[in-house]
Amino acid sequence: MVQFTSPQNRALNSFDAGERPSSAGLRPVLHRVTPMDYERIYERYQELQRYVGWTDEDAARVASVAGLAEPFFLPLVEDFYEEIERHPAARQVIKSPEQLARLKATLVNWLRELFSGRYDREYVTRRWRVGWRHVEIGLDQVFTNVALSRLRRGLMRILAENWNRDIPFLLEVRQSLNSLIDLDLAIIEDAYQTEHLERQARSARLATIGQVAGGIAHELRNPLNTLKTSAYFLRHVKSASPEKVGEHLERIERQVAIADRVITTLTEFARQPLPTLSPAPLVECVQEALGVNPAPGNIRVHVDCPADLPRVMVDRAQLSIVLANLIRNAYDAMPEGGELKITGSAADAAVELIVADTGIGIPPENILRIMDPLFSTKTRGIGLGLAITRAILDKHGATVRVRSEPGQGTTFTVSFVRAPQ
Amino acid sequence: MSTRHPSVLVVDDEIDICNNLSDILTAFGYDVETATNGFAALDLVQRRPFDVALLDLKMPGMDGLTLYRKLKKLRAGTVAMLVTAYAGGDTTREAIDAGAWQVLPKPVDVGRLLGEVERVVGQPTLLVVDDDADLCENLWQILRQKDFRVCLAHSHDEATRKLQENPYRIILLDLKLPGGNGVGLMETIRESNPEAKIVVITGHRSELEETIDRVLSEGAEGVCYKPFDVNRLLEMIQHAAEQNRT
Repeated sequence: MVQFTSPQNRALNSFDAGERPSSAGLRPVLHRVTPMDYERIYERYQELQRYVGWTDEDAARVASVAGLAEPFFLPLVEDFYEEIERHPAARQVIKSPEQLARLKATLVNWLRELFSGRYDREYVTRRWRVGWRHVEIGLDQVFTNVALSRLRRGLMRILAENWNRDIPFLLEVRQSLNSLIDLDLAIIEDAYQTEHLERQARSARLATIGQVAGGIAHELRNPLNTLKTSAYFLRHVKSASPEKVGEHLERIERQVAIADRVITTLTEFARQPLPTLSPAPLVECVQEALGVNPAPGNIRVHVDCPADLPRVMVDRAQLSIVLANLIRNAYDAMPEGGELKITGSAADAAVELIVADTGIGIPPENILRIMDPLFSTKTRGIGLGLAITRAILDKHGATVRVRSEPGQGTTFTVSFVRAPQ
Repeated sequence: MSTRHPSVLVVDDEIDICNNLSDILTAFGYDVETATNGFAALDLVQRRPFDVALLDLKMPGMDGLTLYRKLKKLRAGTVAMLVTAYAGGDTTREAIDAGAWQVLPKPVDVGRLLGEVERVVGQPTLLVVDDDADLCENLWQILRQKDFRVCLAHSHDEATRKLQENPYRIILLDLKLPGGNGVGLMETIRESNPEAKIVVITGHRSELEETIDRVLSEGAEGVCYKPFDVNRLLEMIQHAAEQNRT
């Protein structure tokens, strides 16, 4: 009936909420769910109840047929596991008759709770844990859906075959039971999705930490390499002239500054404070940034901004980071030399700044990724420059566009908010 | 043996590191040249041989491993050590497979580096003169395992040039070469490398019998016939190396 594809194929534990001490290995994560979470989960359940129009009468109706259904729980569960056992993978998972008996008992208990008429916090918590457990064992939610569907059919058949009261009431009971099973399914799925997303986010975070660590390792070990070799020279080469010693001390200072810059970049990225906006002359900012980041000898820089270019709303300190990143990227893209052209122009409510280089360009497959944190194709750098640039510009209400032609060059167009007159 | 200083080529895109390693190695008596990229390094290598090359793995333009592969084609006898800030298993294995001697992590342990350089410089040099490139590569790998610094020459002219550039302890000489025969090289060897021990390798037992007798009488250590027994060849080489040491 169901194609089980999970690695462990522990699909059979479908309705096992993992509450036994024997599942101690799974417990620690459960502990992350606090009483407050359970309160929230219960509220969510109540909200879903309201949505399907669930009332105490529904609860009473389902409870009223508990006596009728109870004798059939075990046969129903036997049938359910017989079907599952036909699946070859399932035979590998059910290792002992004791285990099978335990799984069956769990499912019988689930059915008993279903007809209990008490759908309180404990009930909801146990359902929630089923969903959580399925993520834990890697069981896709789809299997829960079809498993519940089979049980639902079984229950409906039992009610119909053994019904000894009037038919309209049977229809009402069926309606209530269907709603109840739908609610079970909804809360299990809710748990499944919450936990699934949480885990995805967690593994994404771990992957990011790995990437950052790799980037930092490289960026810091290079300056450390110089520091260490200079230290070795100063300590071991006794015949070193005062000039040589001075050279090494200068090198140490320079490399400490490089290491420091790596850390500054990281903290800038992590912090990203809100900008304090004020009107500023864009040309002046550009000239300043070029002064701090002078072009290598083989690169010509051309700035073309009209004298009456309107002022823009920026945080000057943050703008200097943006401009430095764009300018340095342009330099890096032109190892064989070229031209960097910075052009300013006024549009309706905006002021555009175009930073164009005649460098190596960006391959089309990379163009969508260049602003992702930690994406880099350079041998130096962590890959945060453009990510920081975009984050800063976002907070400025400014936009950035990029156009690039491999072998021809790259053009960044930043659109700033124009300062009021 | 010449009394020249052992030479080291340092390649790193970080100029400070080039200068630092140069300062240290120079202070320890090495003849050092530096380059900040692979292309400049290959220019240097084309002009002169180096005993050791210290190559940064991650460099713009040409990475250290690519550089080493090119360098090895030009100067098989240069022993390479690669330096990396982020030593992943794959890179290290790839570098060693390509024939690099060591992969050192950054920041470099200078004491260890100096020890390795000294050790490499002490390894006996050996020149294989044979026009069969595959055979040369096989011998390179086998003899490198035995801690010989193996230089290769594929023609009479290349052999003549390499004999002038470096002193060799041992020379494996194929008698049939493009552009001249091996016998003619004997004289060049005696002039440029009077201390070198010569082992003749040849696939022409009958045709060259007379020639072989001649080279043996002129002082060659022995002859190995192709396809040769590698163990026997190694024994001859080891024997020659020991004789030469004393």
